[in-house]
Order: sequence, then C-alpha cells, then structure tokens
Amino acid sequence: MHEADVALRNLTYGLFVELGRAPTVDDLVARVGATPDEVWAGLRRLHDEHALVLQSHTRELRMANPFSAVPTAYRVFVDNRWWYANCAWDAFGVCAALHGDGRIESSCPDCGEPISVEVRDQQPDDDTLLFHCLVPAVRWWDDIVFT
Amino acid sequence: MNVFRSEGHIGRWLGSRVPGATLSVTKLCELAHAWWGDRIDPNWQPRTRGQNQAILIGLGLTDAFWNLSGADPDR
Repeated sequence: MHEADVALRNLTYGLFVELGRAPTVDDLVARVGATPDEVWAGLRRLHDEHALVLQSHTRELRMANPFSAVPTAYRVFVDNRWWYANCAWDAFGVCAALHGDGRIESSCPDCGEPISVEVRDQQPDDDTLLFHCLVPAVRWWDDIVFT
Repeated sequence: MNVFRSEGHIGRWLGSRVPGATLSVTKLCELAHAWWGDRIDPNWQPRTRGQNQAILIGLGLTDAFWNLSGADPDR
C-alpha cells in the first residue's frame, strides 16, 4: 500500500470519527486538495487492498471497519454518540477503536429478542452470550458484506 | 458474525448449514480490542497477514477455521 493511500485511508477514518458519519468524496477532496476523480481512484485502491469497503454502485463508503456507513443490526453507544458496526465482532471493535466504554445493542438472529451488552474496561458485562462466526477466516473477504 | 443468546439459538439459526466457530463474548471482546484497537490511530499502518495471524494465535484461535493463509491481510 502506497504511503499516499495510507494517508488517504487515515484521513478517511479520522473524518469518520470527527463527523460521526462516513465522509463523502467531497469531504475528502476539501481536505486533500485533489480532484474528486483522484480521491475516488485512491479509495478504489484502498477498497481493492481491503483497507475499507466501498458501495458497489455509488461513489460512497460502505465500511471503514469496524464502523459501518449504513444502518445495521449492531448499534454501539460510545462517547455520547451512536455508531453502526458491521457485525458483532465490529461492534466490540468500535469500543476498541474509540478506546472507550460503551453499550452494544442488537438482537438474537434466531429469536429476535433484544441483546444489550455493556463494555467496561474492555470487558463485557454478560458472558453468557455467544459469538458465532459462520465463514472460515480464509474466506472472509470472498463476500465481506455476507461475512 | 453474530451474537446469540445460547448454543440452542445458534443451532436453530444454522439449520442445515455447517457450523463455523463459536466464542464467548469475553473472548470476542478480547479479540476485538487486539484487532481493532489501532484503527483510528492517525499513524496507522497496514498489518501483514502474519501479524494478523499472530493476533489470532495469541488468543488461542489456532485451529484451521482461523487460518488466514490465502486470505487477504486484513479482515
């Protein structure tokens, strides 16, 4: 990964947290002084490197893992702000990335009952819950949205 | 990658599908902090597949399910 792309990736993540939402191409253009096409080309390279995930049909971000740019079943409350995470792993990852305590809210995919987990000092308050990862590690990126 | 209320709920949700890997949320939380803790570091640098595999191994996730060989470096 070229240094310029790493810098664009780090700017994208920084803006995600600063803005509380996924930055647009225009947001990034305003910060880097490049053209929209140049910024988009950089984001495409980062997508191909799996440093972030773009939407398939629009010039928008889908994931800046662990953050999701779109609503999901995993909501995380950290530092007085709600975030969407891409999955259960990423939900705990939002607390980790933000280095904060938080609350994860979701529902059991089987029965639909609400699930709420508090994370304090990197520990969940309910160890009876179970995490299930269906896709083996070697195939995570075959279809990252499904994973 | 989901959180369930119990093994029974996982089994019903899987149906006829082949099960993957199940962890306690305590282990998941540990994994998440090891994996994602650096993500908004302004000086973040990409990790190699070997570095990612080392994180998994360090948490005891050593069976074939967690083998990243052939996969891309980051999840």
